[in-house]
Amino acid sequence: MRVLSQSLAVIVMNVRSLPSRLWMSLAMVIASAVVVAILLAFLAMAKGFEATLEGAGSEDVAFFLRAGSGAELNSNLSQEQVNILANAPGIVAEQGKPIVSAELYVIVDGVKKSSQTEANIPLRGLNANGIALRKGFELVDGRMFRPGTDELIVGQGVLNEFDGFELGQTVRFGQNAWKVVGVFSTGGNVFESELWADIKVLQSLYNRGSTYQSLRAKLAPDASLETIETFIANDPRLNQDVQTESSYFAEQGKNLQYMAIFGRVISAVMALGALAGALNTMYTSVAERAREIATLRAIGFSHVSAFVGTLVEALVLSTIGGILGCVAAFVLFDGLNVSTLGSSFTQVVFRFQLTPDLFLQGVIMALIIGFISGFFPAWRAARVPVVTAFQSGR
Amino acid sequence: MKDLYLVYKNLTRKKLRLFLTSFAIFIAFLIFGAVTALQGALNAGVEMSADNRLVVMNKINFTQPLPYAYVNKVGNVDGVDKVTHANWFGGYYQEPAQQVITLAVDSAHYFDVYSELAVDPAALAQWQANQSGALIGERLANLYGWKVGDRIPIASNIFSHGDGGHTWNLTIDGIFSGRESQTDTGYLVFHYQYFNETHTYGGDSVGWLILTTEDPSLNDAVAKAIDANFANSAAETETSTEKAFNKAFIEQIGNIGLIISSVVFTAFFIILVVVGNTMVLAIRERTGEIAVLKTLGFSSLRIFTMVLVESFLLAFVGGLLGLTAAYITVEVLSGVFANFLPNLVLDQDIVIQALGYMLLLGLVTGMIPAVRALRLNIVSGFSRD
Amino acid sequence: MSDEILFDLKNLAKRFVKGKESISIFEYLSMTLKKGDFVAIMGPSGSGKTTLLNMLGGVDQPTGGEIWFDGSRIDNLREGALAQWRANNIGFIFQFYNLMPMLNAHRNVELPLLLTNLSRKQRDQQVQTALKLVGLEDRAKHMPSEMSGGQQQRVAIARAMVSDPKLLLCDEPTGDLDRQTADEILEMLQLLNRDFGKTIMMVTHDPAAAKYATRTLHLDKGQFAEKELAA
Repeated sequence: MRVLSQSLAVIVMNVRSLPSRLWMSLAMVIASAVVVAILLAFLAMAKGFEATLEGAGSEDVAFFLRAGSGAELNSNLSQEQVNILANAPGIVAEQGKPIVSAELYVIVDGVKKSSQTEANIPLRGLNANGIALRKGFELVDGRMFRPGTDELIVGQGVLNEFDGFELGQTVRFGQNAWKVVGVFSTGGNVFESELWADIKVLQSLYNRGSTYQSLRAKLAPDASLETIETFIANDPRLNQDVQTESSYFAEQGKNLQYMAIFGRVISAVMALGALAGALNTMYTSVAERAREIATLRAIGFSHVSAFVGTLVEALVLSTIGGILGCVAAFVLFDGLNVSTLGSSFTQVVFRFQLTPDLFLQGVIMALIIGFISGFFPAWRAARVPVVTAFQSGR
Repeated sequence: MKDLYLVYKNLTRKKLRLFLTSFAIFIAFLIFGAVTALQGALNAGVEMSADNRLVVMNKINFTQPLPYAYVNKVGNVDGVDKVTHANWFGGYYQEPAQQVITLAVDSAHYFDVYSELAVDPAALAQWQANQSGALIGERLANLYGWKVGDRIPIASNIFSHGDGGHTWNLTIDGIFSGRESQTDTGYLVFHYQYFNETHTYGGDSVGWLILTTEDPSLNDAVAKAIDANFANSAAETETSTEKAFNKAFIEQIGNIGLIISSVVFTAFFIILVVVGNTMVLAIRERTGEIAVLKTLGFSSLRIFTMVLVESFLLAFVGGLLGLTAAYITVEVLSGVFANFLPNLVLDQDIVIQALGYMLLLGLVTGMIPAVRALRLNIVSGFSRD
Repeated sequence: MSDEILFDLKNLAKRFVKGKESISIFEYLSMTLKKGDFVAIMGPSGSGKTTLLNMLGGVDQPTGGEIWFDGSRIDNLREGALAQWRANNIGFIFQFYNLMPMLNAHRNVELPLLLTNLSRKQRDQQVQTALKLVGLEDRAKHMPSEMSGGQQQRVAIARAMVSDPKLLLCDEPTGDLDRQTADEILEMLQLLNRDFGKTIMMVTHDPAAAKYATRTLHLDKGQFAEKELAA
């Protein structure tokens, strides 16, 4: 109990004297704030990627691409192959018609709002099944395109990041003009970075005959991919790979995750640098107050209280820094829309997301910094010889 | 300089502090060097673009093809010097993950237009005569250890070969190199003619055209003339300078790069501020000692110099070590990422910039206490404690 | 003891301005210091002893009056010239020794010699002589933190002596030491005065210390009250 009340007294004293050691305190706060802000920036980015890509695919949708193509852009399927695959085992049918969506996309140019430069946007052709297969699909404005017309609907990400896709606008890609009749959302995932139009119209306008690039099919609950793979292997006309849609997007997300990994490495290294700065600050702070500490010890305070007092001082400073870092990250990054080149060579629009669990990670990081940069100097403080109090200035 | 011993003793009096301070500076410059090099690698394409070179793309997007007939039509436009063309092949070696940037090009003119690529005339002639031959860039050759005469299977993740499968077997006829160190030589070229005859997609189309103008001042006029020529046709074109095209391509990677680098640079500067603060305070602690030196008869200017030298030493020791570590890191990474970051180098410009920041760090952190020392009144110097 | 005047203070004044208030430490203070003197200055706290010493050492400037040293005026010298003058003429001894904590005894004593053009070898020789004089030749490699207060003060005396200055200025040189050690230090100062002819001016609180001096001046309310002591 005594130790506790003594420690408390020292803590109060230390914390009260912080303003008089303004620059030192500030350095510690800033060091901690920077580490936390950087960490959160990268975590928020990774969170955004996750929501955009990993949230895109469904477990119960089979996704077919030409073997070895790896991405939709490189793949192609003929009408005949689509017809055969639609009857593969395990694919759900309604009223005798399998629920499948053969899709095609071409890359078109849009002008980015942020840089006023042209960037790639996917223009996807699909049918009503395809839309039904996207979980979380919602028309937020306007209406659906009518099959057989040059109407398209625009994803919210595209609308936010690119010029000229507002409802009612006519957009031109080369010789072809399209009318924007609707705005859709798919809950923030990668599909929002696309333009959607009728598959047949797209095939004819871009001279694709009756070829497609990918096929999505609704899987029955008891369906197995192995059975489908066997089905493909047994038919010489087929040369497709099949996987669930979610595993396809998880794979696609890897490329973007590299950036998040890069960010983590950088913030870890930066944290080391800032930690060195913080440690330095605390050591200096203890050295400056050696006489003060020794005087307290002479009066009868225990060395435990000297230790706890210094440690808590560091924790208080780093926590203040951590909170500042969280606030800065929130103000600067939360909800920030950015777009980058995804692995299929098109723009992926995503949004930095700072969720409560990330703030928690930030505060934990701040406490770790406070603990490390406080512990060793506190150890030193506890060992300041009492006699220091009686010695002269030097 | 006799005082150097004093400076040295001052610097090393608290080993732990010296270590922590240098370490923080070390980290700051390590990151600075590595990230600046990375940025430079992304922008290298822009820097290396030739002034008089234009690219002609399908207006819809550069992934859309153009009819082969455009090659001759563009060649006839006034002000155009030479024209060549290329197709993206989507090549890889053995595994899809081992990407080999492969272009199907017009063997007659490609190397005329890309004059910064050096290739032995005999090898070039041999390649031009060998239908299934290929020329590879120096960097690519080093990456896979390929030599002239090797027969390598290059697979495409886009095209199918007429005889089934996705693999083309190509013979290496020569290796081209860049006339400058930053020139990209991480790719392979083979005959468009051969490609066109063997792949199943059909259609005489090319990916894009590259041309040189007779003079850079004609660039705008030529670009306008070309685009006007194909306006309202099935395949409209968009002609831009190579520089503008490369720049736009980098823009596609987008603000994310900007965000990362601005976050990193902010952190770089803040670490320096934190470290600088400690350096300033470390010297301020010694006010009493500086007063003693002054009483002993050391002139203010001499003490001023000593303090300044001390902080310069500190800034440069940590900074140079960090820069060296950054250099090593970049060298290692450029080996690992040779494929998609061909120009990852920590070059002279970065070194000069980093040296500038070290100088600034030393100056700012040294100047504050040095001026204080210069002005220090001995009486108040003693009354501090 | 010669009659040559080393220091001549004429109508010295020192005022501090603190906010709107102006505090006068002394006005019209005059005194002379002859070569070979060992003067002790005593007086209550705040009487201006240390201020006076600082002005004699060229560390502090008077607000009025003149200070003459060996026939030339020093109170109007510029900072750089004063530093040079100090290096050539004055040795300081402080209450708290003021050794450089990161330098060993030898290097501490060497400090003033860095201001001369002596070679490394000459400097080493002079440092050794000085350390020998204070009886610390075997402690040359020791750091200040490894020495007792008395030893540190002896290093400080060696440092003050090493450049062979005309005048030693001592500010409470024994204020931080026990009686016995204090006596040793004072005996050493006496020796320097008597056998080496150093002029010494010492500020002290301690009447016992003042007994070692040849003259004691009492500074009170800005005025001297001189009291000659039998040597």
